[in-house]
Amino acid sequence: MHRWHPVSVLSDIHRGEVAGVRIGGHEIVLWREDSATSTLHAWEDRCPHRGMRLSFGFVRGDGLGCLYHGWQFGAGARCKLIPAHPQVRAPASIHVGAYGVREWAGLAWVSLDAAADFAPQAAQGVDGVQPVRSVHVHAGIAPLRQAIGMDDDTPVLWTGRVGLAVHEPVAGQAMLHVVRAEGDGAPSAPFLSHWAARLRDAVECGGDTAAVMEELA
Amino acid sequence: MDMILYDWTPDVRCYAVRLGLSLMGVEYRTEAVDMDLPGTRRLPVFATGRCPPVLEHGGLRLSRPANILHFIARRPDVARAWLDPACEWVILDWLDFGGGALDALAASRGGALGTTMPVVPATGALEVMLRRMEDHMSARALEGHDWFAAPAASIADVVLFVVFALSADVGVERDTCPALRRWARRMRALPGFAVMPGVPDYA
Repeated sequence: MHRWHPVSVLSDIHRGEVAGVRIGGHEIVLWREDSATSTLHAWEDRCPHRGMRLSFGFVRGDGLGCLYHGWQFGAGARCKLIPAHPQVRAPASIHVGAYGVREWAGLAWVSLDAAADFAPQAAQGVDGVQPVRSVHVHAGIAPLRQAIGMDDDTPVLWTGRVGLAVHEPVAGQAMLHVVRAEGDGAPSAPFLSHWAARLRDAVECGGDTAAVMEELA
Repeated sequence: MDMILYDWTPDVRCYAVRLGLSLMGVEYRTEAVDMDLPGTRRLPVFATGRCPPVLEHGGLRLSRPANILHFIARRPDVARAWLDPACEWVILDWLDFGGGALDALAASRGGALGTTMPVVPATGALEVMLRRMEDHMSARALEGHDWFAAPAASIADVVLFVVFALSADVGVERDTCPALRRWARRMRALPGFAVMPGVPDYA
């Protein structure tokens, strides 16, 4: 089964921005084109030239530039410019590893095996979803899942109008992603931001997570 | 009147002062200090355990980075936004927090990089401070604000930026702080932004 991981709320990756994210220790660069299409990409976070992290780089139009020597990568994750040799057309063998990426339910989803099928979408349809916040939790993903009452196969767990998703950047750490469906009775985004911090603190120190979850009821 | 900054390039506290002076558009003269030299070969100012940065102006000698930025922001020729009177106490509160965080970073980074035999730095205190900053900026963003304490960038943002930007030197993961990453990008785009090894101005 192909696995799609929610790695970030979409409000954290606007047009022209670059972010480093991790899935189970794999370093990934998430970046959005500064172009009319604003396409989102998820690549291996490593420049094929000298191994520099591309998440330290910068977006120029529809390309991502490496901070070290300015090599630019674009369509198909292929190298399209080597500034030291502007006349050279870079061979197709110079490219970055590309992963599958989707935008759904206010979240960016990445599949390391570049799966074509996007499983979460089949699970449920949600409209009018607004991203709230991604919060880092210094605890394993299992206690976080347990605290919010979420099994392994649920992409987004809805509690009323609040959607929760989790992923594991490295073993022993977790990210909690919070989104909200607009409409009557939806808690405000600033409230949910503070709420997510309270849940994080409760999970980390083994506190009363049930009481924090109650606040959403 | 001449303003002199005794500056040690790789030091985080010196960078905070250089960045603030550059952003606030203040002219000054630099006296380079090399703290790697033995005490007897340093400038007399630094012979007695004193460390850069030191700002000298009109008989005044200031050495705490947050205090130096506060002093500069009160000058009549500096834009009021850097210490916006409407948000002055909040700015000063975050400025003080930033000064403490900068000291924590400097101590940790000195142990990790500034020695012949590097040690794994203690980062616990720094991580707690970055988390508080991330919680704050996450809430600020959802309320429609771009900066820590005021409608525009203030001297608090300057000090806190240095803490965030150079925490990578001691191995603190920053992909866990999305709100700070987006705020730091705005900082790098400000007119007068100054770079430092490890801190590019590419936005």
